[in-house]
Amino acid sequence: MKIMNEKKRYFITYSVLLGVMILIALIGPLCMSTDIYTSDLGRALQAPSADHWFGTDKLGRDVFARIIHGMQLSLGMSFSIVSLMAMTGTLVGVVAGFYGGKVEMVLMRLCDIMISFPGIILAIAIAGVMGGSIGNAILALTLVGWAKYARIVRSLVLKVRGEDYVTAARLSGASPFVIMRRHILPNTLPLVFVTAGMDLGTMILEVAGLSFLGFGAQPPTPEWGRMLNEGRQYLQMAPWLMVFPGVAILLVVTVFNLWSDSLRDILDPKQT
Amino acid sequence: MMKYGMHRMIGKKKTLRRWVVGGLAALACVGMLAGCGGSRSGNPDVLKVGVTNFADTLEPTENYFAWVVMRYGIGEALAKFDKEMKPVPWLAKEWSVSKDHMTWTFIIDEKATFSNGKPVTAEAVKASIERVFAKSNRANTFFTYDTIQADGQTLTIHTTTPVPNMPGLLADPLFLIVDVQAEKDGRNFAKEGPIATGPYRVVSFSRDKAVVEANPNYWQGKVPFKTIEIPSIDDPNTRAMALQSGEVDMAVNIGPGELPMFKENSAYKVHEIDSLRVVVARLNQRGIFKDPNVRAALISATDRKSYADVLLKGTFSPGKAPIPPSLDFGFNELTDPNSYNPERAKQLLAEAGWKDTDGDGILDKDGKPLHADFVIYNSRAELPIFAEGVQADARKVGMDISIKTVDYNLIDKIGIDGDYDLLISNIVTANTGDPQMFLKWYWGTNINGSNPQNGSGYSNPTYDAKLAEMAASFDPTKRRRLAIELQQILLDDSAALFLGYPKTNIVNAGYLDNVEMFPSDYYWITSDIAYRK
Repeated sequence: MKIMNEKKRYFITYSVLLGVMILIALIGPLCMSTDIYTSDLGRALQAPSADHWFGTDKLGRDVFARIIHGMQLSLGMSFSIVSLMAMTGTLVGVVAGFYGGKVEMVLMRLCDIMISFPGIILAIAIAGVMGGSIGNAILALTLVGWAKYARIVRSLVLKVRGEDYVTAARLSGASPFVIMRRHILPNTLPLVFVTAGMDLGTMILEVAGLSFLGFGAQPPTPEWGRMLNEGRQYLQMAPWLMVFPGVAILLVVTVFNLWSDSLRDILDPKQT
Repeated sequence: MMKYGMHRMIGKKKTLRRWVVGGLAALACVGMLAGCGGSRSGNPDVLKVGVTNFADTLEPTENYFAWVVMRYGIGEALAKFDKEMKPVPWLAKEWSVSKDHMTWTFIIDEKATFSNGKPVTAEAVKASIERVFAKSNRANTFFTYDTIQADGQTLTIHTTTPVPNMPGLLADPLFLIVDVQAEKDGRNFAKEGPIATGPYRVVSFSRDKAVVEANPNYWQGKVPFKTIEIPSIDDPNTRAMALQSGEVDMAVNIGPGELPMFKENSAYKVHEIDSLRVVVARLNQRGIFKDPNVRAALISATDRKSYADVLLKGTFSPGKAPIPPSLDFGFNELTDPNSYNPERAKQLLAEAGWKDTDGDGILDKDGKPLHADFVIYNSRAELPIFAEGVQADARKVGMDISIKTVDYNLIDKIGIDGDYDLLISNIVTANTGDPQMFLKWYWGTNINGSNPQNGSGYSNPTYDAKLAEMAASFDPTKRRRLAIELQQILLDDSAALFLGYPKTNIVNAGYLDNVEMFPSDYYWITSDIAYRK
């Protein structure tokens, strides 16, 4: 009981941190009067000061404001990719696991193929062919990542579908759709959530990675990976251009990872 | 009801490890920064030069690979460009031309030898020039000839049309002199490097690194370094750091983010000059920029002085005209009707009927937003910076520009196909010391591929007539006047957005002498570069 309380305490702490981040992402940009797109070369590359907490970039734009705006983008993209991946993967996994046979074979071989590619490289290839944009980056990472969910969900479904309550539902005349939705899907969700939680942080890194390489967000979008790339050329003269977006990524990814770890501990029955 | 928990994804231990690794990485970064600087002395026998390299082989007739052969001190041509881009004697010690400009006579220096010790005779030069014409389809764009005659050290070229500037044409790296006989005897120029006349000869070459050694038979005397290692470091940050850490003794083209630091540090010498290049955004005259007012508005909206001074830290001069001020083609006589004036830009757009009806900050007309695609590539560090500057300035007058980054290898085709609104290029304006070819290629009228490089749709009969007049005149004063008039037409037509003129630099550690950059950008490693004792 004591262990559980400690775990709950961690979970609550991290959830609060996460909540604060999401709040900043949602409300932050609204509270700021600074225009993050208008250039003013007269104040380019200024070091951090009371006026510009994180300094200014090469076009004289406030780095702090851009990072706050970028937070909305990074969190938004990460959430959309993870939800898309989880939804696609869960659907495929439930269908494959429930029907079995040929359906399962085709779907699972497709997953095997997707998983056998090195993820980020395939994403670079996809985004590279389609051209760099936020939409294409989301699509590329989703295409690469859904297969993992399908595998996890399918293995859970295989366990569940032989249970008595599924048989009972089937005997009472429930349609396959109802069985999947009412009896099978809910059993897979906790693990899907834990996996998705883990992926939130990873996706922020991968989105930033794609943008850093020029395959994601395009200028003047204040995406963190993009900002890192823009700062690279002034690495020695204006290190704040790289340091602050880097720290932002570090903090957000850390909070996500800690939160998802604690979420797993809460949901994991083995340790209770 | 819930059954799960077979998978444990990432345990606490792994989280801890992540933290430790992250901490170590941060420490390593701090250590790296601290490690920069400090005094050092080079090796008097081995020189290391950090360069950018685009060549896959050292075969001079392939693409522009001859540039690399010449830059690395391996190959030399009949003439060389001096600091004013005038051709001066090199392997040829003098030359003359007939009255009709059809027959050029070159006297080859009798001291000249190839790196295998064989003398450079007129016969050998003839074979080398013929080899270029046989192997490179670029040769014909320089000149075409009826006959080349060799007699002892005297080479006579009879051309099919009058050529005003043959020494300048033959000074192009494409025409560097190689020992064709050595190739017939079995040397593979592409794999082993050509046998030529430069101070250094090839030991090994790959795209990533070249090693050359002193040519024992160099015709102009003893060569200073036994060995030169030339790593290709294409990323400008990495190149600058390699120079700071002592990995290389000198490096070409340090970027705007680092150059000021080298200038301030007395342990380094910076040689910076105006290059012959222009960074230009070509404007497609068919889409949104069909309306000359919109073109003029865009150009007026761009603060080119700030791009050069602030964004690029003075490593560029502000743009105005097609030909940079480093060349004497009337830069200061030209007037730019579209000099920086955002208010005028707004007014021009308003006159052209663009209004912001939906209040989103972007002007629109007939329900269509004022939007342009700016195609760029980023292997040259300054291009994305210019593009972002233009994007930000255009936005201030209500024009929305999306930047589309593509691979460099696609740029040429996009330019020819006209598949852009704006297309960035960094172009050499006078690689033979004369801008005629440059002015024709990009703005001469193109009918069904007659002038393929002009994919913009720009066409002006007056411009074409003056181009033809220039091609037929040999009086330098008249050619200069025509070049000025041609440029003024382009400016008045708002034909393109001339963003800036790169300065080019070469930076070396203080213990080296005579490291110099030339406007032509063909001579990096020379026999003059020496270790100071």
